[in-house]
Parts: sequence; structure tokens; C-alpha cells
Amino acid sequence: MRECLSIHVGQAGVQIGDACWELYCLEHGIQPDGAVLDSKKDRLENAKMVPMAASFNTFFCESRAGKHVPRAFFMDLEPTVIDGIRTGKYRSLFHPEQLVSGKEDAANSYARGHYSVGSEIIDLVLERIRKLAEPCNGLQGFLIFRSFGGGTGSGFTSLLMEQLSIHYGRKTKLEFCVYPAPRISTAVVEPYNSVLTTHATLEHSDCTFMVDNEALYDICHHQLGIERPSYTSINGLVGQAVSSITASLRFEGPLNVDLIEFQTNLVPYPRIHFPMTAFAPIVSADKAYHKTFSVSDITTACFEFSNQLVKCDPRLGQYMACCLLYRGDVVPKDVNAAIAAMKSRHSIQFVDWCPTGFKVGINNHPPTMMPGGHLAKVQRAVCMLSNTTAVVEAWARLDHKFDLMYAKKAFLHWYIREGMEEGEFLEAREDLAALERDYEEVGQSLRYDGKNEY
Amino acid sequence: MNDTLTSDVIGRRVDVNGEHATIRFYGIVPPVAGLWLGVEWDNPERGKHDGSHEGTVYFKCRHPTGGSFVRPNKVNFGVDFLTAIKKRYVLEDGPEEDGKEQIVTIGNKPVETIGFDSIIKQQSENKLRFPSDSLSSTGRFTTLKVLVLSRTGITWAEVLQCAAGWPVLEELYLESNSISISERPIDILQTLKLLDLSSNRLIDENQLFLIAYLPRLEQLILSDIGISSLHFPDSGIGCKSSMFPSLQYLVLNDNRISQWSFINELDKLPSLQALSCLRNPLTEGSGAETARQFIIARIGQLQTLNKCKILPEERRGAELDYRKAFGNAWKKAGGHQDPAQNRPNEEFLAAHPRYQSLCLKYGAPEDGELKIQQPFLLKNQLLTLKIKYPNKLDEKVIEKQLPDSMTIQKVKGLLSRLLKIPVSDLLLSYESPKMPGREIELENDQQSLQFYSVENGDCLLVRW
Repeated sequence: MRECLSIHVGQAGVQIGDACWELYCLEHGIQPDGAVLDSKKDRLENAKMVPMAASFNTFFCESRAGKHVPRAFFMDLEPTVIDGIRTGKYRSLFHPEQLVSGKEDAANSYARGHYSVGSEIIDLVLERIRKLAEPCNGLQGFLIFRSFGGGTGSGFTSLLMEQLSIHYGRKTKLEFCVYPAPRISTAVVEPYNSVLTTHATLEHSDCTFMVDNEALYDICHHQLGIERPSYTSINGLVGQAVSSITASLRFEGPLNVDLIEFQTNLVPYPRIHFPMTAFAPIVSADKAYHKTFSVSDITTACFEFSNQLVKCDPRLGQYMACCLLYRGDVVPKDVNAAIAAMKSRHSIQFVDWCPTGFKVGINNHPPTMMPGGHLAKVQRAVCMLSNTTAVVEAWARLDHKFDLMYAKKAFLHWYIREGMEEGEFLEAREDLAALERDYEEVGQSLRYDGKNEY
Repeated sequence: MNDTLTSDVIGRRVDVNGEHATIRFYGIVPPVAGLWLGVEWDNPERGKHDGSHEGTVYFKCRHPTGGSFVRPNKVNFGVDFLTAIKKRYVLEDGPEEDGKEQIVTIGNKPVETIGFDSIIKQQSENKLRFPSDSLSSTGRFTTLKVLVLSRTGITWAEVLQCAAGWPVLEELYLESNSISISERPIDILQTLKLLDLSSNRLIDENQLFLIAYLPRLEQLILSDIGISSLHFPDSGIGCKSSMFPSLQYLVLNDNRISQWSFINELDKLPSLQALSCLRNPLTEGSGAETARQFIIARIGQLQTLNKCKILPEERRGAELDYRKAFGNAWKKAGGHQDPAQNRPNEEFLAAHPRYQSLCLKYGAPEDGELKIQQPFLLKNQLLTLKIKYPNKLDEKVIEKQLPDSMTIQKVKGLLSRLLKIPVSDLLLSYESPKMPGREIELENDQQSLQFYSVENGDCLLVRW
């Protein structure tokens, strides 16, 4: 029951998926070949044997041979990255049909990912997903990992989401997206791809968690002391955040939060579904135990700009909803005290129409750290998902860059050539402008001064 | 805490508004009435004096501003370990069935008789005081693997005393305890894999030798201890030491390392694979960009530096750069491309122990590599040439400075104006001291001097 299917699209999605599944396997004690670690030696595992069997069923499927196969699907339009998984450490974990690669990539173009190259492979992809979804008793929904700026991540995902809505109607679709960083750019046409894909996916996605590379680089550099962060260290961080979000689905806990509950508590209007992620404590393994992290310490840290995984200043906006997912050695009494302290702080502004706004989840399973990773092993951690109006800053930046390029019709021919029309660009831009206005409206106070009423 | 304290309160650890301190004195301090506690703060700048007041010395501190007198009711004595655990996990309405599966139920038995299953005992929250009598009679923590005693004011002697009760201890964190290592651990702490001695500013290199023979020590964290020099006495230049036999990961951030000799010494560690060396004078400031490369080059078996893996290309680049950077110094010290003549002096070898092995690996640096690049000014581009007239030996040999891009035609033009001879009669060639006996003709007027590889100090021969 309550199975979740993870779909990883494009290079970013696949590499994040690599980090995530490695972490899940460590947390559940699953070996790289799918067998579960011998639990007789470790008394801890024994105590958790019975509840674990039911819980990791949400993410892993047990085959007749006793192997645990992840309920995941990796796809990319070119073979390099997927080949990395096919020959990597976890190659025997995945069934070959779960790893799909095309021959010709989307070349950073939404048009190729959505129309020309993507449309050729979509049927195969849907077929494979159907095979994964069939054995599920009660499929809760899909978790989709992708980037906004790449060709496959933007173009193919929007095509996929449309099709999933058609075939799987009411199943939840949560996205984990890599948003284009404000000052670091990996592709010049990122703004085009991002705007087009956001417009196309807006009505199909139920909740989109964003992370951006610049924030992650800064965290690695300043808080973890890594001089030159590689994608491995960054994906490790994202993996931790994703693991915290899905922990309630995989482990038993006193206060569990599942996918539907996220949506209900975080999304006030269907279009306002872009929460920001923050994670605490982020401390380097060298400084383990130099500071004790109490529940109130880590809760406060979550509200700090430096712990956010997206570069948006929450102090410039208002909170609409907030979801705190604790894991590890956490008692409800500490949580209540910490939240009461946060609410009384003036820097944290809630919108008028939602004064309470905190959803809490507690899971007793402590965060697992990757061996050789950079994060210190801590006894308790928290992941905060907050829906704040400050996220409109991210959209405004993107729209501005889009406008600059579109005004000169720069790079447009690459899209037109694949069969797109300029009308689609205008439509997408209009949609995002409307999204910005929606956020502003939502953040406005309910009080009417005389001036507003004419 | 009780209102009446007895004098055995001296030595206890307390906490005043988050700042930790140790009690050093209890009694009356005239002229103010009432009882005072004289405390020495962990933070040496927190206090107001060094234990003396109006001339009378009540207690001694290590620093002139390390002490204060505070009222007994303003300090927090903390709680002992068991009480802290009970307060946290047990609800008021009865003992909760411990939902924390990691901790095997802590019943009401005294702490000493239970074997904990590798839990973290966070004793930095509590102010733990070890009884002065030995703990061996009170039992052992037979499965304790990780122990955190940061900021508890514990001393090395006490650690060793209690270590008999931790037979399988693997990780020990002793940050910020003002520890100075006074003796070698014998038959205790032998299973220790990780030792964190950060922020214990009294540690110096000689004390480190006392823990150098722990057989399984793999990670040593020595951030912020103020160390600036290191020398392994048991091994010479270029040899491996027998100290720290299993040490794989060493952290030396925030220290006062400013000499490259320190890094050279680290090359002597037999198993070192990863090093973190940030925020030291050596790696900050003007030499910062090349510091990383030099560290990689100086420590041969290093695989990870400052948490970034060293890829083979990076190592190759770093070693080549290092070899080139010190090539001139090597030559001056007696190095030579020819192995028979290669005898760099002792001083150079002491400063660059790996240089010889790098020369073996990549070859000795060529002279061409060692040429210092002159800045691109016109005067640096000029060749100083002698001009000789073999036909008319009574003419003086003159010297001229010509740019190497000058064409032969222009050179002939210059000479014809000088000698009053028409250009078409002139025949030019040159000879070089590097190639004695050979004369090279400069026959093509359109080519430049550089085309014919005319170099500084060569001699032009003019015939007509």
C-alpha cells in the first residue's frame, strides 16, 4: 500500500536519483545487489524488523528471489549518464528496463525535448512506467526529479507530465526541480527552457520543490568547508533533503506525513505550489559534536537564509504555510517549544489569512550519512518546506532574463526550427506574469484602506 | 541547587548564562558581604580579573582576565547524566516505552552496569564531574563505541583513568577541554579510530608524540590548537616515520602553520590519504593559489585535500608545476640534468625532500622550462649582436641592439647606411658561440632574424 514511483529525467534528475537511492539503500540496509543486510548481528535492525518490512515497501518492490528492486525509473535522451548507472556501483540493484536512454540528446532545447526527439520515445517510457505501476496495490503518486534548464529536463518532462495526467488522472505528482541559479549558468537558453516548461507543467504538477545550484555551492563552501564542491557533494545534500521529505513514507514514526498531507497543508491555491526547502543542521564531519544541536537550534537554523536550498530571501516575503519534518532523537515537547519561539519572532511574517501555519512531522529514524560524505552524523535533523511569497523573486529573475533574450529574438531559431511557434513563447510568458501577480495578490493584506475600494 | 554549599564544590563545573566555568574558590570576599563563588571561565576573556581582588589572591587563573566572583544562586550546576536522560525521555505521567530504538531501555539500574549499544553520550550538555577515585570498581561500558566529552573540563589523566572502562571505544571527542597530553596511553584506548582534540590550545607537537603509537588511530582532528611546527624525530629526510601507523585522515584547520617544512614532515606519515589544511597562514594570503598545488606535490600519497579528491591530472599538473617552480633553486644548489653530476646540497634536499623523486618521475627540468619569462616590453625583445667584417679586419667590431622581428632586408639597409655601401652588395651570415665553427647564411631578405634563430650574443658577419 501507499507505493511511490520515482521518475528521474535528464542528467540532473538521474544524478540526483543516483545519490538518493544510494542513501535510501544505506538507510534500509539494502546491499548494492538488492539483498537486505544481515540483521541478526545488529540489534537495532532486529527491533525494527517488522515495521520496516511494511514501510520500505513504499519505495522498494520485493522480487521473488528476495531482491529489493527500487520503484524508480531513470530516463535520458542520451546514453552517457544512464550508462554511468548501468556500470556503476548500483548496477545490479535496478532492472534493465528501468533505465532507458535514447541516442540523440535534446541539446539543451525545450523544443527538441518536447517535440522532435522526445515524442519518439514517450511511448516506450509510458509503457515502462505502466509496468512499474501495475504491481502497486495503492499507488500514491509520482515523484519526478528534473532540472528546469536542460533540454530533456524541461521539454521531455512537460510532455511526460501531460501524458501522466491523462493516464493516471488523480494520482499526485510531486516534482523536485533544479532551478537555474541566479548567477551561475550552465546553459545560455536556460530562461527559455524554464519559462516554457513551467507554463506547460503548471497545471499538471501538484507541488514543486525547488533547489538551486548556487545556494548548494555556497552551503558546501561556507558551512562544509569544501573548497571546490563537485556535483557529488551537491547531490549528496539534495539527497539528504529528499530523504527527509520521504522519511515518513518509509519509516514508522509518531507523527507521520504522507504525500497527500503535504499538498493539503502546503498548497493554498492550485497555482501557488512552489515551496522552498531548507535543511538543518548542515555541519562538516570535522566539527561533529563541537556544537550540540537541540531541537530549537535546528528549527531556528531552518529560517536562516544560509540554510535555504534556493536563493530567495524569505525575509522579503510572507509565509503562507510551513511544514517541519523532524527526524531522529526528537520529542514532541521540544518541538512545541521551538515552534512557539519561532512564532513570536518578528522577522517571521505570516500572511493575515493563515496565522497558524505549521505542520509537523516526526520520524524517529535518525538521518543516515553516506560514508566518506561531508556531512557530520547528527542525532536529529529537520527539513523545512515553506510556501512563502518570497519565491516570486525567483520567478521575477527568470522572467527578466527571458525578456532580455526574447526582445532580441536571440536563440529563437533553434526552437522555431523544431516546430515551435513564437506564440507559444508569448503564452508561456503571459502565464508566468500571471503567476507573479497571483503571488502578489496572495501576499496582500486583507484589510481594505479606503483607497482600494473604488 | 541548595542554598548551602559545602567546600567540596571546588572543582565543579558550572554554567552561567551559557558560559562554562570551573569553580576555584568558595567563601567570603571582603568588603562585600555574603558568600561568593570564585570561578575560572573557559573563555579567558570573559572574566574581570585573575583571581585576586584588592590585593588578596583568592585563587589563581591561567589568564589575567579569566576569573570572576559570582553569587552562588546565579550559577547553574547542571544535572548528572541519569537525571538528564530521565528528564528528556521520560514523560511526567510515567516511563514511556522508549520509542528511540537506538537506546536499549534505560531502566532504573545504575548507569555503570548497563552496556550501551554504540549510542552517543552527549556529555557536553551536562557538567560531568569524575569522582577522584578510580572508576574501575564501578563497572565497564562493555560495548560503548562513541563517546563525546567536549567542553566538560576533563583532563587527560582523567580520560586515561576511565579509559579502562571503555574496552572497545572507537571514537573519542575531547574538543575544548584545555587538555594537555601528559602521558602515553598504555593498554588502553588501543581500539580508538577517531580522536578529536580540537580547540585544546595547550597541545603542542611533543605531546602528539605521546599518542603516536595508537595502533588503530585512523582519523585525528587537530583544528584550532595553535600548532605551528612538527618534526618527526625518528625518521630522516624522505623516509617514512613509524609514528601514527594507521593515520589516514588528518585535520589541521585554523592553526598557525606557516612553514613548508611542516608539510614536508606530513609526507613521512605512512598511511596518510586525506588532509584538511584550511585557514593557516601558509594557505592564506599571497601564496594561496599555489598552496594547494604545492601541498599536493609535497605529499606523495595524498588522495584528498580539503575534502576535494585529487584527480590524477591534478596531481600530475601540481607535481610538474612544483618541479618547475623550484628548478632554478635546484640548479643553484647543485642540481644537474646529468645524473652523474647531480648533487644538490643538503639544505635543498631538506627543504624539498620529494624533488629528486619527481625528477626521476618526470625527468630533470630542462633549461628551456626554467627560463624566467620576461615581461613583454620592447627592450626585452631586442637582441644584442656584434657586427664583424671578415673582409676588412681593420674595421672595429660594433655592437648593436636589434629586435628579433627585424627582416634581413632592413638589417642590410641599416648596415648600408652605416658602411656607405649599396644594399645589393652586402652578404650577411652569422655565427653563434653555442655552435663554434659554423656559419649560417642569412640569404632570404624577407625573413626575420628570429626565423634564423639568431640569439642574444651572436655575431653577424658582413661581406661585400
